[in-house]
Parts: sequence; C-alpha cells; structure tokens
Amino acid sequence: MVSAQKGQVMVITGNAVAAYGAMLCRPEVVAAYPITPQSELAEQLAQFVANGVLDAEYVEVEGENSSMNVVLAASIAGARTCTATSSYGLVFMYDALQEASSFRAPVVMVNANRETPGIHAVSSGQQDMISARDVGWVQIIVENDQEILDQIIMAYRLAEDFNIQLPVMVNYDGFYLSYLAEAVEIPNIEDVDAFLAPLKKQPERQKLVPGVSIGCGTHGMEMGYVEARYKHCQALERVKDKVDEIDKDFGDYFGRYYGGQIEEYRTDDADIIVVASGSATGTVRTVVDAKREDGVKVGLIKLRMFRPFPAERLTEAIKGKKAIGVIDRSLCFGWKYGPICMELKTLAVNIGSIPILSYIDGLANLDITVPHIERVIDEVSAAAQGKPYQEVTWIPMEE
Amino acid sequence: MVEGTKKRNKIFDYFCEEDQFAGGVAWCAGCPLELTARFVPKVLGKNMVFVGTPGCGAPVLHGQNVGAWHKLAYMASVMTGVPSKATGLSRYYNRIGLDATVVCFTGDGCATDVGFQPLSGAAERGEKFIYITYDNEGYMNTGNQRSSATPLGAATTTTPVGKIGRGKPTVSKNMPLIMLMHRPAYMATATLSHLEDFAKKLQKAKEKVKEGFVYLHVFSPCPVGWRISSNLSIEVCRNAVRTNYFPLWEAEEGKPRFTVEIANPKPVTELTKLMRKFSHLKEDGLEELQKAVDERYALIKSLCDANK
Repeated sequence: MVSAQKGQVMVITGNAVAAYGAMLCRPEVVAAYPITPQSELAEQLAQFVANGVLDAEYVEVEGENSSMNVVLAASIAGARTCTATSSYGLVFMYDALQEASSFRAPVVMVNANRETPGIHAVSSGQQDMISARDVGWVQIIVENDQEILDQIIMAYRLAEDFNIQLPVMVNYDGFYLSYLAEAVEIPNIEDVDAFLAPLKKQPERQKLVPGVSIGCGTHGMEMGYVEARYKHCQALERVKDKVDEIDKDFGDYFGRYYGGQIEEYRTDDADIIVVASGSATGTVRTVVDAKREDGVKVGLIKLRMFRPFPAERLTEAIKGKKAIGVIDRSLCFGWKYGPICMELKTLAVNIGSIPILSYIDGLANLDITVPHIERVIDEVSAAAQGKPYQEVTWIPMEE
Repeated sequence: MVEGTKKRNKIFDYFCEEDQFAGGVAWCAGCPLELTARFVPKVLGKNMVFVGTPGCGAPVLHGQNVGAWHKLAYMASVMTGVPSKATGLSRYYNRIGLDATVVCFTGDGCATDVGFQPLSGAAERGEKFIYITYDNEGYMNTGNQRSSATPLGAATTTTPVGKIGRGKPTVSKNMPLIMLMHRPAYMATATLSHLEDFAKKLQKAKEKVKEGFVYLHVFSPCPVGWRISSNLSIEVCRNAVRTNYFPLWEAEEGKPRFTVEIANPKPVTELTKLMRKFSHLKEDGLEELQKAVDERYALIKSLCDANK
C-alpha cells in the first residue's frame, strides 16, 4: 500500500472529529440520542446527513436503548452502522449491548466517558465504560482528538474483519476531549476508502435477509449456548493481534502509529512503570520526561485496549520491572484497587511478585495533575527500592 | 369425496403462500396465537422477517437451541428492543431496495408495558414496518401475571382473588386507541373469529406499510391462563366482538371506522361465562366490567362517527 495524501488540518473538538471519523467511513445507518457530553456528535452527524455529505439513514431515536437496537439490527441486515453515547446512555443500552456482541454485529460506537448514575455527576470519568466491561465488546480508549479520528477508522477495519465480527466501542474522556479543540489532520475520504478496502475482499459475512430460512438470536440452550459463547470468546482473543496488525497498517498508510493494544513510552530501560489511559496519558508523558531528566528510570504504558485485556503484551512490557503504579479513573466496587490495577494484578503469576500500587484519581472531572503524577512516580520508586508502600491511594482524598 | 361440490371458503382467496410452519409445534392446544402466526405469512407472503421476543411466541418463532419451527427469517429480541430492531432492519432493506416486510410479533406485555417506549417512538417516526400485538391480556408465558392489558376484575397470579383481593382493580390500557393517537399510516383491531376481516386488514397493512407505520392489535384468548376449554377459543373471540368487548375497527390516515358493527350487542356476561378468570365476580363486579366495556365502546364510536 502506498501512502495516503496529506489531509486537511482543522482545529476541531473531540465530538466533531468523532463525527468526521464516522462520516469518512460511510456508515449506512446511524442512530443517536443526545446526551452531555456527546450531543455535539449526534448533531454533527445529523448535519452531515442534512447537508448531503453523508448518505445514511439517520434514525432520531427516542432513547439510547433504541440507538443500539437500531444499529445492531441494521448491522445484522448487512449495513455499516454507527452510534454514539455516554454515561447514562451506555447504561440504558445494557441489554442491547449484550445482544450486539452475542449476535456478532460489527457495530462501531463512540462513547464519551462520563460518570454513571446514582450520584448525578455531569463530569468525566471512565466508570461508564468500565461498568460495561462484561458485555462482550471490544473497548478501546484514546488519548487525543487525532487519535479519536484515527481509531474510529481503525475500529471499522477491526469490527468488520471476517475473523472478528464483533462490536467495537471507542472511548474518549468526556469534557476533557469532547469539548477540547485541537489541530487534527482529517484524511481524504478516498484514502479512508482505500484503507477500508480490504474488508471488501474477504468472504461476505452472514446476513439476515427475508425469504431465507435463517434466524438470529435463537434460544440457545446447553451446548448451543456454550458453542456460541466459546466462539465469541475465541474471537475476542483474536482481536489482540488484529489490533496490532491494523495499527501497523494504519501507520504505514497514514503515518501515525499508536502501538496497537498498548503504547510503551520509554519503557525499555525503565525500572518502574506508570500505567494510565485516556487523556491523562499526555500529562504522564510530560512528567516521565521530567523525571528522566532527574535520573529516575521511569516509563509509561498507555493502555489503549481494556477489552479484551492485553495480558500478553502487558506481561512482555512489564516483565523484569521493579514496581508499577496504575492510575484508574474509575472504581471497582467491592475491590479496593482500581479496575485496571485489579486486572493487572492477575498478571503477577507471569511478571513475578513486584509492588503494584493502585491510584484512584480523576473521578468526576478532578484533574490528574503534574504533582499527582510526580507523587505516583516518587512512591513507586520508593516501593521499587523495597520501602513500605500504601497499596491503594485515593489521591484527591489525601490532598 | 365432497371435493368440488362443497363451496370453497372465501378465506382461501386471501392466501398467497403455503403454511410456513411445521405441522406440529410447541404451542398449547387451542391457542389462537398459533393460528395467528400461521395466518399472517399466508396472507403477507414469505418475504418477511419476524421480530419477536421471549414470550409465548418464542419457542416456535425463535427455536430452542435447534432451528425454529418455521421457514421464515426471524430476529429474536429482548422485550425492550423489538420496534427498534425492526427500524434498523426495515431502514436498511428499504435503502437497498430489498422486497421485505418486517413484522414485529409480540404479546401485550411487550407492547403495552416494557416495550412501549420504542413502540411509541417508532410509530411517531413513521417507521415502515408492521407491529402485531397478540393480546392475551397478561404475561401468559411466565404463568398468567397481570399486564397493563389485563381487564378490570380479572384474576391473575399477581392480581389474585383472596380475602381482600378482588382481581385487577383498574381497567386495561386502551392500546389500540393509544396507537391511533400516533396517527399511523394504518392500524386495525382483529381477531380469529372474523378471518376475512383479519385477512383484508393484513392486505391493507402490507400496502400501507410502504407509506409508514402499521399497527395491528389481535385479540388472542389464552386457554390456559384464562381457563377456557381449548375447543372454545374461537367462540371466545366471537363473543368478545359480539359483546363489544373487543370491537373490530381500523383507521387509515388517522380516521377510525368500524369494520364490523354489532346491531344488538350481547351483555359482557356472554363472554365472561366462557372462562374462569372472571368467575369470582359478583353482580356488582360484572356491572363494573359492563360499564367499562360500554364506556370504551362509546369513545371509539364517537371517534368513528366524527369521521363519517
């Protein structure tokens, strides 16, 4: 594949760029319901359709549950689809999310991360996405506006891959990225077509069409159920390598690489690692650079994929390190650690018994600041030297 | 031997397709739901996709582990997603020019209760599919619990009769009228005692769905839950019409009209005596029920008269 043409550079918000990303992939059926902080995205997609820029059926549904049902059914009928939501909206889709993945509908959904119901927090946090971890979807987390756009394009290549056929959720921090305008290179649509062209060369997937004796969503019992679930889990395992492969293809063509399942930053010679995700990783990178100046051998792992959990690549990246600090923007109710930290701890059998420190920060729009990250690195450094450490720290509660 | 001499029933003229279902299926004896499910594709043709839910329809429509017990394409859904899935399917089929009739086929519990929001949404958007409610006045598949389509006074397992309990204390949600208020392209009530009336309505539905949303409300007694003798279910349908308990009407462009008018309606007791779900009602309870029937009929009649 030759390289793509240079795209147009625009200063654009995360929501708007997500709409551009979806539009460039030419979805045929779009359904969306407005919710803060995603609304601009629903509006922008409607405007694209109204302006004739996007030739799609736009369904202005009466709720998020219907958004997901519309796109999953259209997807099973054969359409390329798109929807977007956040927080309460994602919660309201809970049953349909599970149908989408169980039906193996290659839906792409954008989710602007926001705290979940119970305490009315109109603010950022990853609780929505984390609470939907067991619905059988692929969940990817991005860091900035350019990555939102690029990842949406990559998400279609992944979801519709014949050997995958799973729904993909592209997550970005609501408020921080949804309303943040950054310079973004918008690729030419012909180049996006070319990048997605391999999907047309693969065998056609099974579709639900009338006049044919075929069904979707049968009452699976006993072995029928087990076989469907087994195949679903196998497909999720295949996602891991596929994400790395698509990332490489994307980088080769568009010139931007993200590392696939995880991005490793200055980890090769590092003694200690900070694991973070989403928009906060930009700040972590800055602090890692500053600490390196001071001689601290610290590296960053940016977790780009939460489901399936990139256990193999994380193990590879962490093996031999002396201590890890994990920053979580959400909670794992009933476990004292943050959710990403808790899952990382399951790797102990492979990476050895090293200190893994859990940090809860950035809930409900509280900033993950430079001093916070400095503190994390200092404490993880001390733990690496065998000093006593606190297992879990709620940073805002200790300030 | 009588072939050729016996007059052929006119209903066969409405059939364009052979029966799409297996000979023996896992529905209860005497259940009008089975007859409705078989009847619909015979009239509409087999270029259709059934969208259904867990409920009485499920074992046959969606299969149990193996194939379904019919030859039609289908999508199974949870009860909250039926009209929205039908939206996704019909939007895409229409977009690519595929000849397809998308038919939702759910019970009253799904339509009037837990799945009402997306039904109302799809109707308001004018989505081009047919929604058929088989109304057996409660959650029959889970064991006869009340739904909002359960009538006044009816005994169910969640409105039981006891020292204090007197059956359901409120009238049923007037679903056909609620759907009329959405101004669908076409809507109608139907039941199996009036097959020609039902067939005509299905034919209209197939035509009108090209313009917009179509809603059909089919009265479908449950022999098990209502405690009816299984050979009487069609008789119950007939008496529901003759007592004005379930009037047969339709509406095109939002204008309702009766398709069957009953010259001398019988008292509702002609219906209630056929089943045991009202058997605990004393004279006053039956009077209350008669009042509810009269009131509901008067309302739809006034709307029909206004459109004459």
